[in-house]
Amino acid sequence: MKLEFKMIAVLTAIALASGGILAYTYVSAIDSIEKNNEEAKKKAVTKVLPGVQEYKEVKIDNHTSYFIGRKDDEVIGYAVLTEGSGFQGMIKLMVGFDRDVTKITGLEILENVETPGLGNRITEDWFKEQFKDRMPELCVVKGRKPENEHEIMAITGATISSKAVTKIVNQAFEKLKKALGGEE
Amino acid sequence: MSLLIIIIATVLVNNFVLSYFLGICPFLGVSGKASSAIGMGFAVTFVMTLTAAITWLIKYKVLLPFHLPFLEYVSFILVIASLVQFVEMFLKKSVPGLYRALGIYLPLITTNCAILGMALLGSLRHYNFIENLVFGFGAGIGFTLALVIMAGIREELEFADVPKPLQGAGITLILAGLLALAFMGFSGMISGG
Amino acid sequence: MKKGSASYEFVKGLWKENPVLVMLLGMCPTLAVSNSAINGVAMGLAVIFVLVMSSLIVSAIRKLIPSEVRIPSFIVVIATFVTMTDLFFKAKYPDISKALGPFIPLIIVNCIILARQEAFASKNSVGLSLVDALGMGLGFTWVLFLLGSIREILGFGTWFGHRVLGSWFHPLIVMILPPGAFITLGVLVGLKNMIKKES
Repeated sequence: MKLEFKMIAVLTAIALASGGILAYTYVSAIDSIEKNNEEAKKKAVTKVLPGVQEYKEVKIDNHTSYFIGRKDDEVIGYAVLTEGSGFQGMIKLMVGFDRDVTKITGLEILENVETPGLGNRITEDWFKEQFKDRMPELCVVKGRKPENEHEIMAITGATISSKAVTKIVNQAFEKLKKALGGEE
Repeated sequence: MSLLIIIIATVLVNNFVLSYFLGICPFLGVSGKASSAIGMGFAVTFVMTLTAAITWLIKYKVLLPFHLPFLEYVSFILVIASLVQFVEMFLKKSVPGLYRALGIYLPLITTNCAILGMALLGSLRHYNFIENLVFGFGAGIGFTLALVIMAGIREELEFADVPKPLQGAGITLILAGLLALAFMGFSGMISGG
Repeated sequence: MKKGSASYEFVKGLWKENPVLVMLLGMCPTLAVSNSAINGVAMGLAVIFVLVMSSLIVSAIRKLIPSEVRIPSFIVVIATFVTMTDLFFKAKYPDISKALGPFIPLIIVNCIILARQEAFASKNSVGLSLVDALGMGLGFTWVLFLLGSIREILGFGTWFGHRVLGSWFHPLIVMILPPGAFITLGVLVGLKNMIKKES
């Protein structure tokens, strides 16, 4: 057997075997992965839209979608699932708005890779609670208490992560307004 | 996001070596001499920029349209391995001067985790083609910068009285720690990405 | 214990030829995910799985692979098992998968794995390769676990998420940040050298 032929044959065989095994693993894992994603979404929607009973997801773009939350067949609010860059990587979050999109009803951080102990304190309740009942356009202040309803207090030592979250929330609001406006 | 911010972020604020820990093996192994550090750095920057372009095309023009996301890792690493081989052959034939300068570093690059790390991080951040290219280039420059600084310090270190057990890897790691601490000072430069 | 005996090949990875402390391989994951004990252990287990499976396959087919294409072949085998591990974590343990982030796929370029294929599995029988892979994997895991524990205890005052130091303790946040990783590992390498010299 010639060497070239053997080389090609061996590499092809290994690549085919690898592709086959991976396709099989992927097919058997994808259901659980999607179930996990759906459950994470469900948990987040229930948190940011208090009292929600059912919801429908509408895609805005590849990485953003919004959920119409209903209770007793009445729309009670909208939740936007979106992502943006933080200090170290992407932050994926969900933010809920009331029915008339006049204030924020809740915020949940789904994924982040911010620095443990500093940046990833954006997942702590006191930080997320700040956003409740506020209205974009939001901005971050540090070193002093927020003075009006547009100000969010930064986490000590993690101003960048705090600003990133605030910015993503502002963008989510803009995207939602545009998407809802387009429907009417 | 503007391209300038991507460059500053990858070179200084989130330096690949000092804050993502990518490319540590060559960082510890090669950084003994400033001249070889520069050679290695340029070889990596060159391959990284090419990798950024090709992996982006593979992901968005092949894997996603054909619903094959699970082949991402296998195809990325194969691209890097064959790219390194290809670059080596091309340089040897067409630009022998550059080949003599970079040649010995090229085979080491396949297993440099900074390259695959860059491809994967770029893919996670959904950059567009140009952004991905700039990201790859910036990552390479950041790697070069860390490598060269480290090599400079280590050249001086030869004259220092280091406790015996710490000589070699130990003191290098501690130095890298101090360097990382210094680089953290850059984090104020970018606000909110 | 003799070189070539199963017990020797197993024990060498734990201490004498420890992949992290002595051979300085696989540094990226060692430093990056070792900010807590649980992450260290999860990463260690993932590496053991990939290392053992790759060593088994590579040593089983070692006589079929022409040496010119051995590196690409090894890499494809490794990348396959890494993707499986990644999918497994995503399906069963989504939280750990998120914490380890892109460092699971980076196991592909973890020098420990390729180095063991090149230096050992491609030259030895399936049985010995299995023992070698287990030893190296465990050697990697215990260092990661130790590093993760030190950084978590000093940086958060907790261990596996439980508070171990009282409220008097002021957490040293730098331990969880990149500089803490480098410095702790540097000190560990120094300690290892000190113990080796005395014995």
